[in-house]
Amino acid sequence: MDWNCTLTEERLSDFLDGALLPEESAAFSAHAAGCVNCTKLVAQVSGLVSRMQQATPVEEPPQLAGRILEATLGSRKQKPVSTGWFGWAPVIWQPRFAMGIVTVAASFVIVFHAAASSGSKTSLNPLNLVRGANRQVHLTYARGAKFVNDLRVVYEIESRLSSQPETMSEPIPVPTTRPSGEPQPGQGPQQPSNEPREKSQTIPHSSRRAPRNGPELAVMLTKVFPDDPTFRAPRSPL
Amino acid sequence: MRRHTRRVFNLCYRFTGNPTSAEDLSQEVFLRIFRTLASYQASQGAFPTWLTSVTRNLLVDHYRRTRRDRMTDSIDDAMPQLEEKHSPARMPDKLAQASELSAQLQRGLARLSPELREAVILRDLQGLDYGEIRTVLQVPEGTVKSRINRGRIELARVLDEMGVRPA
Repeated sequence: MDWNCTLTEERLSDFLDGALLPEESAAFSAHAAGCVNCTKLVAQVSGLVSRMQQATPVEEPPQLAGRILEATLGSRKQKPVSTGWFGWAPVIWQPRFAMGIVTVAASFVIVFHAAASSGSKTSLNPLNLVRGANRQVHLTYARGAKFVNDLRVVYEIESRLSSQPETMSEPIPVPTTRPSGEPQPGQGPQQPSNEPREKSQTIPHSSRRAPRNGPELAVMLTKVFPDDPTFRAPRSPL
Repeated sequence: MRRHTRRVFNLCYRFTGNPTSAEDLSQEVFLRIFRTLASYQASQGAFPTWLTSVTRNLLVDHYRRTRRDRMTDSIDDAMPQLEEKHSPARMPDKLAQASELSAQLQRGLARLSPELREAVILRDLQGLDYGEIRTVLQVPEGTVKSRINRGRIELARVLDEMGVRPA
């Protein structure tokens, strides 16, 4: 293949990139080896390309990124940094620090409470501390359980009592007492009474929860409520 | 972010040869990217290629805008400032050598025509392949290859005239 200086110059980059056909590459090399100018040119350009490709990038100014961010996203408002003796105070209100502090404090309280309840120096033995803490925990749990059970009993009683008025909505007959001289039912003409019948034969609302039935009950109620005419003791037939 | 910033700044700096202009242009590039990000489509090419296209367009605008200034103010005036900043006397040997090479390269690039300069920068300093350069420059691949080849030869001759020997 016929090769000359012009071709060498035109195809130099292809030769350096390895893009020439084998016969072109051979002709290029043969010509460059015999031509002083082309040898120099090939050496200069290949050296230059090699140096440029190995060149390190220029460092951008450090303020450039900040300038770009400010130009695109706007200036950032700096959060004021508190300084001084209590500058660290806001940090401890972060949840992780606050939880840690509370946990440590609770641990100390439990341990010292258990140690103090033992009352002797030997109680500082870790085994005793653990036992004391265990005992305290169980006692606390037992008290809590008892309290809850008591509450439950009280509420159950209250709920049962509060459901009573519905079941007692109808008048409850009680042995009525009559003043002396009044005719007994079924004896002689019945005197008309101004008071409604129900009023004299029903338990007042306030005493509806009183035990019912039985003459002994009436006696007991009379003792308990001596001024209430409803529970006046019946006269002896004698 | 840092990778893209460095890429854009290097392209601007290698093209303009002025760190201050490169910084301003980089900021302008990202501002434009930020405003036109919604119009970016993956079919236009990878994001870095699109970023390079936007940068190149801004550089061309900047080149045209400052053509009159360059008539009276040589681009070489900016170089002492850069060399002072990266004074080799303050650096270790390797860094100083790299810095000196970078400065020499910059001087040589400044003497190329804009078309050849941008082609060489994109290929040899930014590491783009021919297809990406074709996308960025919006010219046929044959033209891209021709510009790169001529740019390399021209730069080698310029550096040779400046007394810079190949490694």
